[in-house]
Amino acid sequence: MAEQYKSLHPVKYYRDYLSHNIRPDGRVFDTFRPVILNTGSIDTADGSALSKLGQTTVVCGIKAELCKPKAESPNKGFVVPNLDLPPLCSPKFRPGPPSDQAQVLSQLINDIIENSQCIDLTDLCIFPDKLAWCLYIDFICLDFDGSVVDACIIALVGALKTVKLPFVDYDAALDNIQVNLENTRPLPVHSIPVSTTFAIFDDKIILADPTVEEENLCTGIIVIVLKDDELCCVHKPGGSPLSSDELLGCIEKSKKKVPLMRDLLKTALQDVG
Amino acid sequence: MDDEPLICLPGQRLCLCDKTYTSGQGTYERQGYIYSQLAGYVDIVEKDGVKIVEVHSSGEQTVVPAQGDIVTAQISIITQAYAKCFIKCVGDTVLRRPFRAIIRKEDVRATEKDRVEIYKSFRPGDIVLGRVLPITEAHVYQLTTAENELGVVIAHSERGHPMVPISWTEMQCSKTFIKEQRKVAKVLPEKISKDFMQSSK
Amino acid sequence: MPIDHKRINGPEDTLPYQLFTKLNRKSLEQKYKELVQDGKRHDSRAPLEHRKIFMKTGVVSQAKGSAYIEVEKTKVMVSVFDPREIPNRQDYSLKGEIYCEFKFAPFSCEKRRLHQLDAEEKQYSQIMKKALEATVCRHEFPNFQVDIYALVLHNDGSALSAAITAAGLALSHAGVPMYDLITSATLGIQKDTILIDPTTIEERICRTPFWKEKEDNEHGLVVLSMLHTHNQVAQFYQSGSISLDKLPHLIETLEKACADTIPVIQQCLVKHVIKTIKKSSNVIEV
Repeated sequence: MAEQYKSLHPVKYYRDYLSHNIRPDGRVFDTFRPVILNTGSIDTADGSALSKLGQTTVVCGIKAELCKPKAESPNKGFVVPNLDLPPLCSPKFRPGPPSDQAQVLSQLINDIIENSQCIDLTDLCIFPDKLAWCLYIDFICLDFDGSVVDACIIALVGALKTVKLPFVDYDAALDNIQVNLENTRPLPVHSIPVSTTFAIFDDKIILADPTVEEENLCTGIIVIVLKDDELCCVHKPGGSPLSSDELLGCIEKSKKKVPLMRDLLKTALQDVG
Repeated sequence: MDDEPLICLPGQRLCLCDKTYTSGQGTYERQGYIYSQLAGYVDIVEKDGVKIVEVHSSGEQTVVPAQGDIVTAQISIITQAYAKCFIKCVGDTVLRRPFRAIIRKEDVRATEKDRVEIYKSFRPGDIVLGRVLPITEAHVYQLTTAENELGVVIAHSERGHPMVPISWTEMQCSKTFIKEQRKVAKVLPEKISKDFMQSSK
Repeated sequence: MPIDHKRINGPEDTLPYQLFTKLNRKSLEQKYKELVQDGKRHDSRAPLEHRKIFMKTGVVSQAKGSAYIEVEKTKVMVSVFDPREIPNRQDYSLKGEIYCEFKFAPFSCEKRRLHQLDAEEKQYSQIMKKALEATVCRHEFPNFQVDIYALVLHNDGSALSAAITAAGLALSHAGVPMYDLITSATLGIQKDTILIDPTTIEERICRTPFWKEKEDNEHGLVVLSMLHTHNQVAQFYQSGSISLDKLPHLIETLEKACADTIPVIQQCLVKHVIKTIKKSSNVIEV
């Protein structure tokens, strides 16, 4: 009978649970779901990682290609992140061009990469004004169960850490490129961004790491990205207003996640060796 | 489940198809044999001396509403001629994807059909029990609520408070005590309603 | 190419770095010779040996049914959704429809794939659809459509047959009525060499016509899907040039390879059924 009730009266179903200070999946308001990170499993990509946040699954693959730097910034390479929410991951999505949601999230991830400065674009330059690396960072959501950005950022850092770029010998006089596959170097990752999503339910209850059901029913969503102990991005697209105390509370809660993520990354990368 | 259930997979040959055994739900017949269509467990039902071989899927079943099924629907839009709704459950099974359906003015109640007015029977958001009519148009299901046991089961007043039925045409808000008109279903106790659901199949 | 305004775009033209490596360019003759050496392939398999298969159901929580298949490095995910009404449909069809989409992830191949479906992906989607139509009881859901999406995360050859096998498993996991279990296998041929379940490198060698001038210019790929119990061919796809005399032998080899995959699927499904039965009986006890 509970299932019918949930289908017909989802909001009331949630309110009943939340009034007892518990969520339908058994978590209390500010617990996160377990995280799994697996790195370097796709060898056609130059760097790859798969992250799981509860049921939410995102795979990130990085492909490096060569290109000419822009004239206005001759000593910088490129980073091109794109998030794909294919119809495979949820019945909500249809085949065709990216949905609005995918576009917004792609842009958000782009901003996070830029703001956190985890990649220094000058590291990607091979020869000023002539040759640079372009990193295509593709995220594919395999299972859409809420807090996708959090999973993306975990996968991003995991994938970046496994990137190995081959050594390129560029002869400017002859415009000749020679790539040496035996000699590779890892990509320097300058900081570790950690993202945390919160859902605001009924204008007052704040749920950390919401599932897709919670995201659908809530009245607002807020994404907070921290870099070490600094704030690097806050994304709150409309929704319920939030008092400054509540906002600070969210930031405080997301701070707890930073050391957890650092440990996770350490263990995940140790496995690869 | 007392004894071990008999597990079968799609395409598995179950038994000969003859006078004693016939193919039922979840199975198909080909060249004198009964085969399974699903991954699940075998169930043999005896009816009038014939054993019907059925296979039940282990997870939720893939159901689509069929003629005569009792369904739970939520009203989305009302017009003067009909109410549009989404079928959310078929019998006891909750659908993952709702199906569109309409209730025409003529099918709201059994008596005084010409005096029915949709807005006095349903409002958007109401939860309705209905029976699926034979499919005449290609894309949309038609429902009827022209039975005592069918009609609005859950409704909220204009202020958003739950309402309780007070007669078969009226419901009352539990907070403001304002009366609103609805085609109210006579809700049966669970035991009887189960039999009712079964008899409808 | 027109700019895709719905995605973040990089610089106009970028080149894969693999183009500039010091390739030790081997002659075709040499490559062919290295295909099988001392009865072993480059990954030390026998020519007619299939790679190990791992399968799992229920990998996508949001989908009705889903499956993941790993044929060593080749990794494919498939998800299946509930029947839904066919959008913008005027007439009534007595048989349900199947919608298939086969997609390579941008990073799954050596060369970067674009986001839009290319011709190869469209062709594979079509082949997959035809293969699955043979096994789904489409009369059970008239006027509805079942959506099947396959995503290749990592392509190391034989991705299409892996996707078809996984789609069969996902359909069964979703509880879609089916006539039979379906499995698929790929075969590559180059001159006298026949390779079951070729990897990307082997596929590439099998695709190229090496000896154009000679008569026994046999090369190509064959994909065959089988329905297990009824022993029927659900789908057959061949590219390249293969003599008719050889065909029966090839089909026989593929049939055997398909049959060998069946136990893996059966095991996976039985495991799933037992798990759900246990779960539902637990609920009743509580």
